[in-house]
Amino acid sequence: MSTRIPIHVSNQTALVWDVDHVATLRSEHRICGVLSGTLPHLSQQNIFLGVPLVLVPEELVLLVEKQFATIVHDPAAHHPATPAQLESWDAQRQRGIAHQVREAGRRKGEDRAPAATDAAAQQKRAERDARRQRQLAEAAEDAGPGPAITPAPAPPSTTSDAPPAAVYTVSVPTTSGAFAWYAPAAHEYETLDAAREAGVWTYPATEEERARCEVFRDLWEKGYYLGGGSKFGGDWLVYPGDPLRYHSHFVATVQTSPSAPLRPMEIVAHGRLGTATKKAHLLCGWDPASREVTYISVEWAGFG
Amino acid sequence: MESHPTHSKYLPLKGAVQRYPRTASAIFQTYNDLLLVQQWSDLELVDLPTCERCGFQGRRPENNTLTSVVPCSLAESLSMSWLQSAFGGFEPHEELFLAISAEDSSIVYYKLSMGITKPPL
Repeated sequence: MSTRIPIHVSNQTALVWDVDHVATLRSEHRICGVLSGTLPHLSQQNIFLGVPLVLVPEELVLLVEKQFATIVHDPAAHHPATPAQLESWDAQRQRGIAHQVREAGRRKGEDRAPAATDAAAQQKRAERDARRQRQLAEAAEDAGPGPAITPAPAPPSTTSDAPPAAVYTVSVPTTSGAFAWYAPAAHEYETLDAAREAGVWTYPATEEERARCEVFRDLWEKGYYLGGGSKFGGDWLVYPGDPLRYHSHFVATVQTSPSAPLRPMEIVAHGRLGTATKKAHLLCGWDPASREVTYISVEWAGFG
Repeated sequence: MESHPTHSKYLPLKGAVQRYPRTASAIFQTYNDLLLVQQWSDLELVDLPTCERCGFQGRRPENNTLTSVVPCSLAESLSMSWLQSAFGGFEPHEELFLAISAEDSSIVYYKLSMGITKPPL
């Protein structure tokens, strides 16, 4: 039970907040999801995203059916905090921030240390000082025996230690595990049925959604990785290995039943786009009667 | 009509066109294209009663392999079971070309393969 990964569900959206869980899902269960977490101050950048990992509904259904994960109803698992709990949490948070700032300051000092002892840099500084001394002496001689010029005090060196107002990045935890008011145990569901009964998770609710889940599971069981297919006009992209290492070979679309309408124009559009991107299109037909998935690959013929 | 020099080429189609009037135009157009434009040889009709039409088998001039074709109109509505029964009507039945014809007589072929078949590199 405890080895299963908790998937945090809120408003029918499946999220994973722990980076170790994200790594396990990808490396052990071939489930990639999409990282969606960004920074409040840089919400427009979408090159480097972090937790939470958003799972598509079919990914959650597979993980729960295979008993790799459980569903945690996140809004219910967070109970109202008492003032004492909040105070303790705030104190701990402040201590954490102070500790991080102290550590960052110490690391900064260590980083600079080697530069100061660098022989070449020291020699340069010595030459610069000597030149300045010489110039001052010459200026004094030129002025002649007038009123003595007292050199202005040297401006504070720009390379002095510890700038007065240092800016640090303080990281805050993304998981709720440490909150005294967080009690997921009573709101954790091991099966889809239990979660459905509680109204926490309702997917798949229709024939079409069931077909999508079955096709997703069938491709996954054949060893493929699946990613979102919207960029190529399909339901999923089908990868032979981790999407970070491989290009996808197929764009897949789901046919809900053997009699579900399929227009020739769809075959033309999918087939031509797939061929232009060196992929084949995969028509994935779910048959609710035989409970089997059949596949037909589509490519442009190359003539006509 | 009978005096037209190409008339004899279409005689094999006569039975199929009469049997399947709803798909006659797609059958005729595809046969015409395979025979005269694509220059296929050994072109033969294959009856596909479950699909309410006939298909074709012939040899492409570039590789001389036996190739199967099922015609359809752009305006039709197909399905997975329709495609599977079309596959079943041919021997061998791993690979099938779908000939999609439009009202303006344009025609395009798509290669369908049973199962998860990797695209050529």
